[in-house]
Amino acid sequence: MSTVRKYMMRTMNSVCEEDSIEDVIRVMNKIEMSVLPVVDDENKFLGTIYSRNLLKNIIPEQYGFLESHRLLYQVNQAAENLAEIKDRKVKEYMSNNTTAVKENDKMDNIADIMLDNKESYLYVVNNDNKLRGYISRADLLYYLLEVGENQQ
Amino acid sequence: MITTVTLNPAIDREYFVQENKPKSHQYLYTERDIKVSPGGKGLLSAINLRKLGYSDVQNIGFVGGRQGLFFEKMVQEHGITTNYIFTESEIRNNIFVISRDPVTYTHYNDYSYKVEHGDVKSLIKRFRRGIIDSDFIMISGSIPEGVNFSIYQRLIQICHEAGKDVYLHASGEVLNRALEEQPKVVVPYFKHTNKILDKKIVNDEDYIWAGKKLQENGAKYVMMPFHCSRLLFDKNGDVYQLTPRDFCLRNWLGAGEAYNAAFFDYVYQYGFDFLEANKYAGAAALAIAESKEIFLADRAMIKEKTDNIIIKKLGV
Repeated sequence: MSTVRKYMMRTMNSVCEEDSIEDVIRVMNKIEMSVLPVVDDENKFLGTIYSRNLLKNIIPEQYGFLESHRLLYQVNQAAENLAEIKDRKVKEYMSNNTTAVKENDKMDNIADIMLDNKESYLYVVNNDNKLRGYISRADLLYYLLEVGENQQ
Repeated sequence: MITTVTLNPAIDREYFVQENKPKSHQYLYTERDIKVSPGGKGLLSAINLRKLGYSDVQNIGFVGGRQGLFFEKMVQEHGITTNYIFTESEIRNNIFVISRDPVTYTHYNDYSYKVEHGDVKSLIKRFRRGIIDSDFIMISGSIPEGVNFSIYQRLIQICHEAGKDVYLHASGEVLNRALEEQPKVVVPYFKHTNKILDKKIVNDEDYIWAGKKLQENGAKYVMMPFHCSRLLFDKNGDVYQLTPRDFCLRNWLGAGEAYNAAFFDYVYQYGFDFLEANKYAGAAALAIAESKEIFLADRAMIKEKTDNIIIKKLGV
């Protein structure tokens, strides 16, 4: 039976609760990810921070979220709002109720968890709840492709 | 977990041509003639450790730009956990052009990579939490522009605060300063400058002087490359020479990294025995030097060569 360990991305890219929002945005931009895991100073997984959450907090509510007819002044307003919050801490904007999976979990169980949580990424931890990487929907689909090929 | 540190990695690009002709276009049509791989002393040791069966090996360091993402993917292909600080500047590329007839080897070593002050701060934070679960820590290789010479000293200090020993493979001023933190094992490399502790190393006496001086300045144990051998400086002041016998050298590439990885492997399996760990490590280096491969395949290929390694005490 295949486990998460075989398909996961083994990366420790992460931020801490005390890091600033600006740090988060810079890391997201460099590694081309719109979500990051949040860990403590021993790499214990605490939750996640999503770019979508940050955007919700800076885009003026009356114009809706990411509408195509947004005008320039609305963008300027969002930039101003971001300037106001960029020094704030990750802990103010992170989600604590994020599900993590274990390295030795069966791949067959991942689909359920991903669909239940509407997550495109699930963070992977070891038995001590310490971050070890992530697994994506693309990894799950790749696994299913392999299962199908093996059945033929 | 095992942690290796590579602050100045590079993407190695090897091009194999029939003849290296300056001022002319060359066309490479087959995959066989192009090899692209992640490079860096600590990283190559990490790959060896994965091949020896360690499931949890991480590599910490800087990588840069979009090519850095490509580099990270290549490293993950080896099953290594990546723990990188991404910089604005693009990662280095080392270009090797290898010609078959006549046999030539042309190397363009790219030293254009630069790290910003904020990146160094991020690395120190990441390193501090990254080593919490590490049983072994190896800090290895050169440092990029923008990083202070005292960086290894700082990293070793963090390891010591966490009660962890360090295996240091370094050269130049960054090594000189790191000694102040008294790393447990030091392996100097110096073939690019021929200097250790700012002194030219020419004859046998210079090697002995350098090993002793490294210990005097803080290293507990020193393993000094010495032509095809190694000089081993034990904690109690004894000096040994490790030499391979009955061997046929085919390839130096990867031998040093195999040595470092096998040293860890021995200590992990049997505990810290300086001479026996070196004997095992020497066998690993010999196994690579006698094959065309640059990575160890398994422990069997090391054990096969241990009888070819001799260690004798020197009267110095």
